[in-house]
Amino acid sequence: MTTYHLRVNGREHAVDTDPDTPLLYVLRNDLGLNGAKFGCGLGQCGACTVTLAGGSVMSCLVPVSVVGARPVGTVEGLGSAQAPGTLQQAFIAEQAAQCGYCIAGMLMRAQNLLAANPKPTDAEIRKHMMPNLCRCGTHMRILRAVRRAADAMGGKGGKA
Amino acid sequence: MDRSQRPRKSRRRTRRLLLAALALLVLAAAAWAIMWRPAIDPQKQVPAFDQATIERGRRVAAVGTCAACHTVDPSRPYAGGRALDTPFGTVYSTNITPDARTGIGSWSEAAFTRALREGVSRDGHLLYPAFPYDHYTRLAQDDIGAMYAWFMTRPALDAPARDNRMTFPFGFRPLVAFWNILYLKREPWRPDPQRSAEWNRGYYLSEALAHCTACHTPRTRLGGTDFSRHLDGGEAEGWYVPALNVHSPSPLPWTREHLAEYLRTGIAPDHAVAGGPMQATVENLRLADPRDVDAIATYIHGYLAQAPARATRASQPGSLPVPQEGDADLARMRAGHAVYVNACARCHEVGREASSGAALPLQKAVALYDPDPRSLVHIVRDGIAPPDGEPARWMPAFGAILDDGQTAALAAYLRRYGAGQPHWADIDNKVRKARQP
Repeated sequence: MTTYHLRVNGREHAVDTDPDTPLLYVLRNDLGLNGAKFGCGLGQCGACTVTLAGGSVMSCLVPVSVVGARPVGTVEGLGSAQAPGTLQQAFIAEQAAQCGYCIAGMLMRAQNLLAANPKPTDAEIRKHMMPNLCRCGTHMRILRAVRRAADAMGGKGGKA
Repeated sequence: MDRSQRPRKSRRRTRRLLLAALALLVLAAAAWAIMWRPAIDPQKQVPAFDQATIERGRRVAAVGTCAACHTVDPSRPYAGGRALDTPFGTVYSTNITPDARTGIGSWSEAAFTRALREGVSRDGHLLYPAFPYDHYTRLAQDDIGAMYAWFMTRPALDAPARDNRMTFPFGFRPLVAFWNILYLKREPWRPDPQRSAEWNRGYYLSEALAHCTACHTPRTRLGGTDFSRHLDGGEAEGWYVPALNVHSPSPLPWTREHLAEYLRTGIAPDHAVAGGPMQATVENLRLADPRDVDAIATYIHGYLAQAPARATRASQPGSLPVPQEGDADLARMRAGHAVYVNACARCHEVGREASSGAALPLQKAVALYDPDPRSLVHIVRDGIAPPDGEPARWMPAFGAILDDGQTAALAAYLRRYGAGQPHWADIDNKVRKARQP
């Protein structure tokens, strides 16, 4: 067991755990941030996507020991059920969630796109969202939601 | 000084100047003759082709891997626009659909043939050798004709050529004429009568059409293929391209069957999954006639089989060891080992195949045996997505998970304790460069 100091959604946390513990487990089990989901555990589905130092990562693949001082962002940082952020509002408006299991990951991957590229083309949205899967097949609505969010932000990027 | 000599001296000088001017003129005329190529008249109408020729052209173009450079967006095949970084600047692939204005719709078969054989555009300007006409020059005429039929019957797309960004003085295209004198050998392809028909088919396809040597053979400083080091390994798009001859870095010998499977699917059991520029090659080859791909495998395997058997860790079972106490670079090795154990081993550790989709045990990964870490770093950074339509699992990207230092430590550890090879020189710099977007 080692103590790791993590910065998640702007807040510092100290966690005692093993170095190979996936960041996903730390977020869910130690910090109570249940937005990121466990899907495959092998980096194949994207349900666990969060941001690490601004990049999208599948948190099931991230050993807590490599995080260091780099900031982590989860869906809880985008807004709440009472006050959803722009990206979340766009997903609601397009009814992009069916079962909803993939959506936290979809939101975080989209957030990372809009922060880096506030005016993405439809082709860029498709390419960027490619690693994340949705078993319900709502991909077309998800793509529309990301488009809607990009337009709503008016090219100002992903600070929802 | 003697006064009487002066006029004679000045007369001599005038004569010298005149001679020099004449020589310059002759040189300029010769240079112009070398550099200038005539336009070929535009054709008014695209000719008609029979279905069998078009279908054959599809297969020929697949082995030629034309789409690897000329298709960027799969919904706009052959519209060009792909950036190719060369030591001489960035060259963009062009539109080879039959659009009359922005594509090659006005090109007669004669103009198309000249482009492939001599690297000259229809209007007479010289093409940059990023387009492998130094290989296509040896194509059989009926293969060129079939490709022409295939391209001329594709949907015409409006896609103007993008401006190349060349470093001085390479923006001046006529200079390519001098490159052509050095590197464009306009000899027809000749089979080797000592070899089998299949080997000769593979020889023709590999050297003339699929242009394997364009990447797998090193280039000279002037960017020409260095045929004195045939298949000795090269580079493409920042990746190390493995040698396919006696210097093959592969720790385990390839069989011809594994090579053919690799070329068709991008996956070779016990060796590698195609990544980087080779992925686009495989995506083309899988549309080719499988017999042609077999022939390429036969030809290339003839060279690959010359690599001597090596004593490596690749055939040893088990997971990778912990760094030894006396290791000169112990701190870095321990950091790399920690990344391996906590991140990589989850899928790559021996014995986990059942749950991990048979990820390659890393002691078998060819990239660990390369002369430099570039390909390994690219794979770690970007992962490997299986070719479209292949049901394999993919290796996820670790570019945003690991930082430069962690990636360098991992590469150093894998090189030493995975491959058991001498350390890669200047690893921090090479890793940082390869990780740049």
